[in-house]
Amino acid sequence: MTSAHKVKITYCAECGYEPQTLDLAKALMLEFGARLSCIELIPWDGGTFDVSVDGDVIHSMTRDGGFGDNAAIKEAVRARLPA
Amino acid sequence: MTIDRARFDQGLTYEAFKEQMTRNRDHFEANEQQVDLNTEDLAAFRALPRPVKVVVLAEDWCGDVIANLPVLGRLAKESGKLDVRIFLRDQNDDIMQRYLNKGQFKSIPVFVFFDDAFRELGHWIERPASVTEVRAKRRKDIFAAHPEFGSPDAPVDQLAEDVRVRLQAELVKMRHDTTKFANAEVVRELREIATRVAA
Repeated sequence: MTSAHKVKITYCAECGYEPQTLDLAKALMLEFGARLSCIELIPWDGGTFDVSVDGDVIHSMTRDGGFGDNAAIKEAVRARLPA
Repeated sequence: MTIDRARFDQGLTYEAFKEQMTRNRDHFEANEQQVDLNTEDLAAFRALPRPVKVVVLAEDWCGDVIANLPVLGRLAKESGKLDVRIFLRDQNDDIMQRYLNKGQFKSIPVFVFFDDAFRELGHWIERPASVTEVRAKRRKDIFAAHPEFGSPDAPVDQLAEDVRVRLQAELVKMRHDTTKFANAEVVRELREIATRVAA
Protein backbone atom coordinates (compact mmCIF):
# COMPACT_ATOMS: atom_id res chain seq x y z
CA MET A 1 0.00 0.00 0.00
CA THR A 2 1.26 3.48 -0.81
CA SER A 3 0.35 6.75 0.84
CA ALA A 4 0.83 10.34 -0.26
CA HIS A 5 3.78 12.13 1.30
CA LYS A 6 4.23 15.75 0.43
CA VAL A 7 7.36 17.89 0.93
CA LYS A 8 7.06 21.66 0.90
CA ILE A 9 10.02 24.01 0.61
CA THR A 10 9.22 27.62 1.45
CA TYR A 11 12.04 29.91 0.38
CA CYS A 12 12.72 33.64 0.36
CA ALA A 13 12.52 34.67 -3.29
CA GLU A 14 13.67 38.20 -2.39
CA CYS A 15 16.83 36.78 -0.86
CA GLY A 16 17.96 34.77 -3.86
CA TYR A 17 17.52 31.36 -2.22
CA GLU A 18 16.54 29.68 -5.50
CA PRO A 19 19.86 27.79 -5.95
CA GLN A 20 19.62 26.19 -2.50
CA THR A 21 15.94 25.42 -3.06
CA LEU A 22 16.59 23.75 -6.40
CA ASP A 23 19.57 21.82 -5.02
CA LEU A 24 17.44 20.42 -2.22
CA ALA A 25 14.48 19.67 -4.48
CA LYS A 26 16.79 17.81 -6.87
CA ALA A 27 18.38 15.86 -4.03
CA LEU A 28 14.93 14.80 -2.78
CA MET A 29 13.74 13.87 -6.28
CA LEU A 30 16.79 11.71 -6.92
CA GLU A 31 16.66 10.11 -3.49
CA PHE A 32 12.95 9.37 -3.16
CA GLY A 33 11.47 9.46 -6.65
CA ALA A 34 7.79 8.48 -6.63
CA ARG A 35 7.85 7.76 -2.89
CA LEU A 36 7.00 11.45 -2.55
CA SER A 37 3.65 12.43 -4.00
CA CYS A 38 4.69 16.05 -4.42
CA ILE A 39 7.53 18.49 -3.84
CA GLU A 40 6.02 21.94 -3.60
CA LEU A 41 8.20 25.07 -3.91
CA ILE A 42 6.68 28.13 -2.28
CA PRO A 43 8.26 31.51 -3.06
CA TRP A 44 8.00 33.74 0.01
CA ASP A 45 9.99 36.50 1.69
CA GLY A 46 11.44 37.54 5.03
CA GLY A 47 14.52 35.32 4.88
CA THR A 48 12.46 32.13 4.97
CA PHE A 49 13.89 28.70 4.23
CA ASP A 50 11.57 26.09 5.71
CA VAL A 51 11.14 22.46 4.78
CA SER A 52 8.17 20.37 5.90
CA VAL A 53 6.99 16.83 5.37
CA ASP A 54 3.25 16.25 5.65
CA GLY A 55 2.96 19.41 7.73
CA ASP A 56 5.86 18.70 10.11
CA VAL A 57 8.64 21.26 9.88
CA ILE A 58 11.89 19.33 9.58
CA HIS A 59 14.11 22.33 8.92
CA SER A 60 13.60 26.04 9.49
CA MET A 61 16.21 28.71 8.86
CA THR A 62 14.69 30.79 11.65
CA ARG A 63 14.59 27.92 14.11
CA ASP A 64 17.65 25.90 13.13
CA GLY A 65 19.81 28.42 11.27
CA GLY A 66 21.09 28.29 7.71
CA PHE A 67 19.85 26.13 4.87
CA GLY A 68 20.47 22.88 6.65
CA ASP A 69 22.48 19.97 5.37
CA ASN A 70 20.79 18.21 2.45
CA ALA A 71 21.87 14.80 3.78
CA ALA A 72 20.32 15.53 7.19
CA ILE A 73 17.11 16.79 5.56
CA LYS A 74 16.93 13.64 3.42
CA GLU A 75 17.29 11.52 6.56
CA ALA A 76 14.50 13.49 8.24
CA VAL A 77 12.28 12.86 5.21
CA ARG A 78 13.20 9.17 5.10
CA ALA A 79 12.24 8.82 8.77
CA ARG A 80 8.71 9.90 7.89
CA LEU A 81 8.26 7.46 5.01
CA PRO A 82 7.20 3.83 5.35
CA ALA A 83 10.17 1.46 5.56
CA MET B 1 41.41 45.42 4.49
CA THR B 2 41.19 49.14 4.09
CA ILE B 3 39.50 51.08 1.34
CA ASP B 4 41.84 53.37 -0.53
CA ARG B 5 41.56 55.26 -3.79
CA ALA B 6 42.74 52.28 -5.88
CA ARG B 7 40.18 49.91 -4.35
CA PHE B 8 37.42 52.50 -4.52
CA ASP B 9 38.03 52.97 -8.23
CA GLN B 10 37.50 49.23 -8.81
CA GLY B 11 33.85 49.54 -7.84
CA LEU B 12 30.99 49.84 -10.29
CA THR B 13 29.36 53.18 -10.82
CA TYR B 14 25.65 53.30 -10.06
CA GLU B 15 24.82 53.14 -13.77
CA ALA B 16 27.27 50.28 -14.36
CA PHE B 17 25.64 48.35 -11.52
CA LYS B 18 22.27 48.79 -13.18
CA GLU B 19 23.69 47.67 -16.51
CA GLN B 20 24.99 44.40 -15.05
CA MET B 21 21.77 43.54 -13.22
CA THR B 22 20.35 40.21 -14.32
CA ARG B 23 17.04 40.62 -12.51
CA ASN B 24 14.80 43.11 -10.72
CA ARG B 25 15.98 46.07 -12.81
CA ASP B 26 12.39 47.11 -13.63
CA HIS B 27 11.49 47.03 -9.95
CA PHE B 28 14.71 48.87 -9.06
CA GLU B 29 14.01 51.66 -11.55
CA ALA B 30 10.37 51.92 -10.47
CA ASN B 31 11.59 52.43 -6.89
CA GLU B 32 14.04 55.05 -8.15
CA GLN B 33 11.14 57.00 -9.68
CA GLN B 34 9.08 56.76 -6.50
CA VAL B 35 11.72 58.30 -4.23
CA ASP B 36 10.37 61.65 -3.08
CA LEU B 37 13.20 63.86 -1.82
CA ASN B 38 12.17 66.89 0.16
CA THR B 39 13.78 70.28 -0.35
CA GLU B 40 15.38 70.42 3.08
CA ASP B 41 17.06 67.03 2.78
CA LEU B 42 18.30 67.77 -0.69
CA ALA B 43 19.66 71.14 0.43
CA ALA B 44 21.60 69.43 3.23
CA PHE B 45 23.28 67.06 0.76
CA ARG B 46 23.94 69.86 -1.74
CA ALA B 47 25.52 71.90 1.05
CA LEU B 48 28.16 69.27 1.82
CA PRO B 49 31.51 71.10 1.64
CA ARG B 50 32.96 68.48 -0.73
CA PRO B 51 31.81 65.26 -2.35
CA VAL B 52 31.57 62.26 -0.05
CA LYS B 53 32.65 58.85 -1.28
CA VAL B 54 30.24 55.99 -0.72
CA VAL B 55 31.27 52.35 -0.97
CA VAL B 56 28.25 50.09 -1.45
CA LEU B 57 27.93 46.33 -1.06
CA ALA B 58 24.98 45.00 -3.04
CA GLU B 59 23.52 42.16 -5.12
CA ASP B 60 20.61 42.38 -7.54
CA TRP B 61 18.63 39.57 -5.88
CA CYS B 62 18.29 41.29 -2.52
CA GLY B 63 14.98 42.98 -1.68
CA ASP B 64 16.58 45.54 0.63
CA VAL B 65 19.05 46.47 -2.13
CA ILE B 66 16.21 46.89 -4.63
CA ALA B 67 14.33 49.04 -2.10
CA ASN B 68 17.14 51.17 -0.66
CA LEU B 69 19.96 51.55 -3.17
CA PRO B 70 17.68 53.64 -5.47
CA VAL B 71 17.29 56.13 -2.58
CA LEU B 72 21.06 56.56 -2.46
CA GLY B 73 21.15 56.73 -6.26
CA ARG B 74 18.63 59.56 -6.36
CA LEU B 75 20.44 61.45 -3.59
CA ALA B 76 23.71 61.12 -5.51
CA LYS B 77 22.17 62.21 -8.79
CA GLU B 78 20.27 65.18 -7.43
CA SER B 79 22.84 66.48 -4.97
CA GLY B 80 25.97 65.94 -7.05
CA LYS B 81 27.81 65.39 -3.76
CA LEU B 82 27.92 61.61 -3.42
CA ASP B 83 30.53 59.65 -5.37
CA VAL B 84 29.15 56.10 -5.31
CA ARG B 85 31.01 52.88 -6.12
CA ILE B 86 29.28 49.53 -5.86
CA PHE B 87 30.91 46.19 -5.05
CA LEU B 88 29.10 42.89 -5.49
CA ARG B 89 28.89 41.29 -2.08
CA ASP B 90 29.70 37.76 -3.16
CA GLN B 91 32.84 38.84 -5.03
CA ASN B 92 34.16 41.14 -2.31
CA ASP B 93 34.06 39.16 0.89
CA ASP B 94 37.00 41.07 2.36
CA ILE B 95 34.89 44.24 2.43
CA MET B 96 31.82 42.32 3.58
CA GLN B 97 33.65 40.81 6.54
CA ARG B 98 34.39 44.28 7.82
CA TYR B 99 30.74 45.35 7.82
CA LEU B 100 28.85 42.29 9.06
CA ASN B 101 25.44 43.06 10.54
CA LYS B 102 25.66 42.46 14.30
CA GLY B 103 29.12 41.05 13.61
CA GLN B 104 27.54 37.94 12.05
CA PHE B 105 25.29 38.47 9.06
CA LYS B 106 26.15 39.45 5.49
CA SER B 107 23.18 41.81 5.29
CA ILE B 108 23.03 44.17 2.35
CA PRO B 109 22.96 46.86 1.19
CA VAL B 110 25.89 48.32 3.08
CA PHE B 111 26.70 51.99 2.49
CA VAL B 112 30.07 53.18 3.85
CA PHE B 113 30.77 56.89 3.75
CA PHE B 114 34.33 58.24 3.43
CA ASP B 115 35.90 61.66 3.27
CA ASP B 116 38.54 62.68 0.71
CA ALA B 117 41.30 60.96 2.66
CA PHE B 118 39.24 57.75 2.92
CA ARG B 119 38.58 58.24 6.60
CA GLU B 120 35.30 56.52 7.40
CA LEU B 121 32.48 58.85 8.39
CA GLY B 122 30.07 56.05 9.20
CA HIS B 123 28.23 53.16 7.68
CA TRP B 124 24.65 52.01 7.19
CA ILE B 125 23.36 48.44 6.86
CA GLU B 126 20.25 46.87 5.29
CA ARG B 127 17.36 49.13 6.40
CA PRO B 128 16.44 51.47 9.23
CA ALA B 129 15.44 49.75 12.50
CA SER B 130 12.37 52.01 12.54
CA VAL B 131 11.22 50.47 9.25
CA THR B 132 11.66 46.93 10.53
CA GLU B 133 9.68 47.89 13.63
CA VAL B 134 6.80 49.57 11.79
CA ARG B 135 6.49 46.72 9.31
CA ALA B 136 6.53 44.11 12.06
CA LYS B 137 3.71 45.97 13.80
CA ARG B 138 1.71 46.25 10.55
CA ARG B 139 2.28 42.56 9.91
CA LYS B 140 0.87 41.70 13.33
CA ASP B 141 -2.13 43.91 12.60
CA ILE B 142 -2.78 42.06 9.33
CA PHE B 143 -2.82 38.71 11.10
CA ALA B 144 -5.07 40.14 13.84
CA ALA B 145 -7.54 41.40 11.24
CA HIS B 146 -7.55 38.13 9.30
CA PRO B 147 -7.95 35.09 11.57
CA GLU B 148 -7.88 32.91 8.47
CA PHE B 149 -4.15 33.69 8.14
CA GLY B 150 -3.52 31.84 11.40
CA SER B 151 -0.55 32.66 13.61
CA PRO B 152 2.10 35.09 12.33
CA ASP B 153 4.69 32.66 13.66
CA ALA B 154 3.31 29.55 11.95
CA PRO B 155 4.93 28.26 8.74
CA VAL B 156 3.07 29.68 5.74
CA ASP B 157 3.10 26.32 3.99
CA GLN B 158 0.37 25.21 6.39
CA LEU B 159 -2.04 27.67 4.80
CA ALA B 160 -4.27 26.65 1.93
CA GLU B 161 -2.94 28.03 -1.34
CA ASP B 162 -5.76 30.55 -1.82
CA VAL B 163 -5.31 31.86 1.73
CA ARG B 164 -1.56 32.08 1.23
CA VAL B 165 -2.05 34.08 -1.94
CA ARG B 166 -4.33 36.52 -0.08
CA LEU B 167 -1.80 36.84 2.75
CA GLN B 168 0.97 37.53 0.26
CA ALA B 169 -1.18 40.25 -1.35
CA GLU B 170 -1.80 41.86 2.06
CA LEU B 171 1.93 41.83 2.85
CA VAL B 172 2.82 43.33 -0.54
CA LYS B 173 0.22 46.07 0.01
CA MET B 174 1.59 46.75 3.50
CA ARG B 175 5.13 47.12 2.14
CA HIS B 176 3.84 49.42 -0.60
CA ASP B 177 1.89 51.53 1.91
CA THR B 178 4.98 51.95 4.10
CA THR B 179 7.42 52.74 1.29
CA LYS B 180 7.19 56.51 1.61
CA PHE B 181 7.94 56.31 5.34
CA ALA B 182 10.76 53.83 4.68
CA ASN B 183 12.41 56.03 2.05
CA ALA B 184 12.19 59.08 4.32
CA GLU B 185 13.86 57.12 7.12
CA VAL B 186 16.67 56.00 4.80
CA VAL B 187 17.26 59.61 3.72
CA ARG B 188 17.22 60.81 7.34
CA GLU B 189 19.82 58.22 8.41
CA LEU B 190 22.08 58.73 5.38
CA ARG B 191 21.94 62.50 5.84
CA GLU B 192 23.06 62.13 9.44
CA ILE B 193 26.14 60.18 8.33
CA ALA B 194 27.05 62.21 5.24
CA THR B 195 26.92 65.52 7.07
CA ARG B 196 29.66 64.39 9.44
CA VAL B 197 32.15 65.37 6.75
CA ALA B 198 34.29 68.24 8.01
CA ALA B 199 33.93 71.64 6.45
